[in-house]
Amino acid sequence: MADADEEAIRATTTEAPQIETDLSDETQDFRLLNHLNFLSDTSSASLPRRGEKDFEPNPTEFQADVLSASRGAMHNALAHPRIHHPKTQVVGIYAPDGPTPPPQAMVDEKGLGVSSDYCVCVPVPKGQYFKTIGQADRWNRVWLLPEEAMYLMERGSLDIKWPRELSGIDADDVNEPLIPMSLQAAYACLLGRSGLTLERYTVFTGLRRLGYAVVRASGWDDNAQAEDSKNEINKHAYTEPQQRGPGLAGIIGRCFAWLDDPFGTSSTAAGPIVGCGIHRNYTDVYRKLATIPWYDPAKAETRDPLDTDAPFRVIFHVYKPSTPIKKSAWPTPDFRIAVVNAREQTSIPTLAQIGALLESTPLDPPRGEKMDRLMYMRLRHGYRNVVLAVVDQGVTSFLRISDAAFGKEKLYENKGPPTGPKRGGNFRPKKR
Amino acid sequence: MDSQPTLPVPISYISGRYLLFSIDAVTYLRREHNICGVLIGTLPQIPQQNVFLGLPLELMPEEARVLVDRDVACIVDEAKAHDGMKSLLEEDRRQYLRELESQGLHASRILSDRKDQQREQALKKLGEKVKAKAAKAADNASASSAQKDESSSVVDIFDDGSNSASRSANMTPESKLAMAITPATSYPPLPQPTSSSRILSKPEVPLSYPLFAHLHSQGYFLSPGLRFGCQYVAYPGDPLRFHSHFLVVSAEWDQNIDLMDIINGGRLGTGVKKGFLLGGPEKTREDVDSEAERVESVRAFSIEWAGM
Repeated sequence: MADADEEAIRATTTEAPQIETDLSDETQDFRLLNHLNFLSDTSSASLPRRGEKDFEPNPTEFQADVLSASRGAMHNALAHPRIHHPKTQVVGIYAPDGPTPPPQAMVDEKGLGVSSDYCVCVPVPKGQYFKTIGQADRWNRVWLLPEEAMYLMERGSLDIKWPRELSGIDADDVNEPLIPMSLQAAYACLLGRSGLTLERYTVFTGLRRLGYAVVRASGWDDNAQAEDSKNEINKHAYTEPQQRGPGLAGIIGRCFAWLDDPFGTSSTAAGPIVGCGIHRNYTDVYRKLATIPWYDPAKAETRDPLDTDAPFRVIFHVYKPSTPIKKSAWPTPDFRIAVVNAREQTSIPTLAQIGALLESTPLDPPRGEKMDRLMYMRLRHGYRNVVLAVVDQGVTSFLRISDAAFGKEKLYENKGPPTGPKRGGNFRPKKR
Repeated sequence: MDSQPTLPVPISYISGRYLLFSIDAVTYLRREHNICGVLIGTLPQIPQQNVFLGLPLELMPEEARVLVDRDVACIVDEAKAHDGMKSLLEEDRRQYLRELESQGLHASRILSDRKDQQREQALKKLGEKVKAKAAKAADNASASSAQKDESSSVVDIFDDGSNSASRSANMTPESKLAMAITPATSYPPLPQPTSSSRILSKPEVPLSYPLFAHLHSQGYFLSPGLRFGCQYVAYPGDPLRFHSHFLVVSAEWDQNIDLMDIINGGRLGTGVKKGFLLGGPEKTREDVDSEAERVESVRAFSIEWAGM
């Protein structure tokens, strides 16, 4: 009897429609992970497909079973230990007071050459990760920033140990094995160091997991200020219509303008905007109709990246996996990222904030054959661009903001053949 | 499987955020208290993706507050708690290292067992293939000499098998080397934080807390909602298995609301097949002594875009 009831409920339950979305947008069914063979080589494992979800809970045992199976799978996936094979194990040692020289070495005035933000030392660095992570000192030890150390530990590639002085071992007791730090301990000790907030860390790991190389930019320190700051919006970038260049070209231009319109009727106060002259084509008319000043991003002045206010300042430089990277000389970044905590910054940024942020990025005009051909792609690419990572309690949304130049795209000057059915209006060639 | 952690569950308060590191606590709170949080860590078994994430679990201050108010959790200042590593007794430390080593040995044993199993399977498959080939060849070729060749090759294969088996037997003492383990939590070696000095006061919550607590008490699962353009997304059941029904936005009772915001919210919700839920407490923070009273006075309205 109970079974019959259950059948009836199941039959009436409509399967919720599956909308094509980004997989990481929603909570995934961890049962999908079951077929991955844990504790083994996972290089060949591919991501499972999205699972089916129900519309609402019903009192069937079937649903309860599926849910508990999902939760069980989630439990198993999360309970998976981080293990280090003795042959490939990479050990790091937490340095609570920043980089220190090795015990027997002499320190001279040159110092270590490593910033005090670094706080985990890897005496024997091996593996591919150190190509884009960490900084080496004079003794070939690699020092890691807190976010780098935490990321490597989380993915099971680094075993961080407590230093002797913090785990109650005598400093002379060299043979005593060090205690490994737990994930919890790493978070407790490393988060909050040198300006690392959980939001910044979430963005950092999210991008690293996808294969990007991520490094701190100069704006990382919220308190760092530029030497000469300018607080007003750039006024040079607003282009007046019909503005001519200075010098001879300008004079000749004005001459032609006078020839075009000798009675100066183009003033709106004295008559129609277009004026009373003779117009031979539409382009002239449109040019005269363009009376609203527009913003030319190519003319905006570049601003010191430090001359911006947190959180709207670039704190990460991001490189695509394909970009060749040399740690001694970082190339121009592929993306610049500002991180915003949605709980602290609850309104969208003001024009002044976004303007300053964009001006602090270098000019990146749309170039290339494709950009020349496709106007909308040009507009979307813009002249400067920056990525905002907005983090709401662990959930990150990325927004790309670009400085588009609509004023530069004069549709009436479009030389291409007219498209669409409007060609020729209602005119239809008559058949003879 | 249905593990029950010791109550109250300690929630780690680290640099202003609420985090959970214990897998038992995470599953328990999800199962018994409808608290999902957001997983933010990397899964070590599949580290190069963002679809499935692992520990730690980030809790909203609202979630932490609900749990503390129900007396199932307490807030622990984790940085202070880890100062306790300095005063760890030598005996405890040794004991802890021994435990980790035995876990590591266990893990390496599982791994080597699995490797053996896989090797055996692969060899079996190979053997079958060769056998099938041999049978086919035997069918085709009537000459007895050919048959002899094939049978000798089969013998060769089995020789290989026994060789590798003996090799793996030789390797076992080596592969029994303990794996190093990075544990998820620091308890042990640290003692459970029972002393009240490390336990912090209730989390500070935003003005939207009463609506959160109200919906949570009605059995909804709530998660942060900015990616849908709202404050919370409300699920009728565990988000593992169900789609969400509501986009939740909270407002104070006397607060002026722009009509356009309601229209926008309604359209936004309808566009993703969810209702737009607007609600808030009738009482302000000045009216009452505790947030609990505000929670009781919550009223909620749902708006759907009918598109006449």
